[in-house]
Amino acid sequence: MQYEIRNTQQKGDSMTTNESYEPHIVAFLCNWCTYTGADLAGTSRLQYPPNVRVVRMMCSGAVDPVYILKPLLDGADGVLIGGCHPGDCHYQTGNYKTRRRYIAMRQILKNAGFDDQRVWLRWISASEGQRFAETVTEMVTALKQLGPSPMRVAWAV
Amino acid sequence: MNTIIPVENNDVLAAFRSFLKRLMESGVVEALLVPLETGDGTVLPALVTDPARLDAERANPLMPVMPINNARAVSAITGKHTPAKIGAVLRPCEIRALVELVKLQQATLDHVLVIGMDCPGTYELNEFLSRNGGHGERCAANFAEYLTAAREGREPVIEGLELRPACRMCIHPMLENVDVHIHLFGVDVNRGLPVTLKDDVAAALQITEPGAGGGESLGEAVTRLTAGRQKVREEALGNIRKQMASNGGITGLFTSCIRCHNCMTACPICYCKTCLFKTAAFDHEPSFYLNAARRKGATRLLGDTLLFHMTRLNHMSTSCISCGMCTSACPSDIPVGAIFSAIGEQVQAEFEYVPGRDAAEALPLITFHPDEWTEIGEEK
Repeated sequence: MQYEIRNTQQKGDSMTTNESYEPHIVAFLCNWCTYTGADLAGTSRLQYPPNVRVVRMMCSGAVDPVYILKPLLDGADGVLIGGCHPGDCHYQTGNYKTRRRYIAMRQILKNAGFDDQRVWLRWISASEGQRFAETVTEMVTALKQLGPSPMRVAWAV
Repeated sequence: MNTIIPVENNDVLAAFRSFLKRLMESGVVEALLVPLETGDGTVLPALVTDPARLDAERANPLMPVMPINNARAVSAITGKHTPAKIGAVLRPCEIRALVELVKLQQATLDHVLVIGMDCPGTYELNEFLSRNGGHGERCAANFAEYLTAAREGREPVIEGLELRPACRMCIHPMLENVDVHIHLFGVDVNRGLPVTLKDDVAAALQITEPGAGGGESLGEAVTRLTAGRQKVREEALGNIRKQMASNGGITGLFTSCIRCHNCMTACPICYCKTCLFKTAAFDHEPSFYLNAARRKGATRLLGDTLLFHMTRLNHMSTSCISCGMCTSACPSDIPVGAIFSAIGEQVQAEFEYVPGRDAAEALPLITFHPDEWTEIGEEK
């Protein structure tokens, strides 16, 4: 991912202007639902913006807060966490814990002066390829409206 | 049950010590965690098994300094199983931290007698030492002022020293639900030290006659003190929030951080034996820094300073009991405690959670209810 971002940057993907701004999204997707859903979106040949870099997790409950913070502070414009719908967790309760951790994270980001709109949590099942494509499209639109993350150039973090 | 320990010649400490000795000699506790004087005008927490040493080494729980948050010490001597009946003389913030450590399975309250005392506040260790070195009249005068302030429900000022910032905004100086409660607020301790005991402890000490507990103005003194501190707290946290809401946010508050990790070491809640930030995960290849610099055009060295603080916030802000040990430990004078309290308060409110309230309550991040926040994640 580091190399990819660096390369796009060298190709002239501006870090500061809104004009040619393409948001970078890091997505942590649960292996059993959302990752499979993303796979379905691909095999169904659904179109969605190529702004998302996917990290496959065994469970959304395995997404440590540090995984979300690291890309945010390093300048990613958004982080997407994808998990199974409540009640459908492969490990029974992982996503319920994700939900609470997300609530805490949102509160911390908001109070610390970050834009909590840059972190999204979505339940997307293995059969919801369409919903995955729509979610990414929506997120890209929303992040374009928000503009580039100030963390793209904030060096003293 | 309430009782009063008689105080002779205005020597409150001797009375306090005699009570502790009685706890040990009657077998209520076999060992006692209590601060002992060091001879240079301060105290160190110690585990005492020989009651005679309480007098010999001058046990002094009333010395207004806090070298460590003693919840850590209780964690060390109890772990998952307490090897003996232990008594621990603790301040309210230490008890609250201990309750959180119990929930984090780092300590147990089984076979632990919690002896809590009202806490008028503590001073920065080095500042207090510079004013209070040695013994003698000066110390005695300082001590008398400290107790008088507690009686009158005002901030104690010793030789121009102010309390630690966390103590100046402490809104929980009084105790609830402890085995033994030593009262200081609103009472003239020179006429007797009021103690509230659980019945089984009173029976073991053969205290049968309830004395008048506390003083008449007890409630008043605490209300006056906490009302003032609530104001200080709101103002201090409000200032921090303003800074975090302004341009740059929390980043600006940590620019002078020298990455010593003292805040983490001093924090009673941060219990991990090896912090993530000390592991190989943060041993980066040289190319890592170059990549980071290329991404942004420039990068702070060494990196991940804010990541450390933000991760710590995620790990412990639900349990932050505002003891302020982090602020006292910071060599760069960053108001770490106020920052963590300002954010922690909001996170705790979201879960309607009060850290340190009850050991039976579950930690917000390990429990859940299927029917809460059902709108989250379902957005179209």
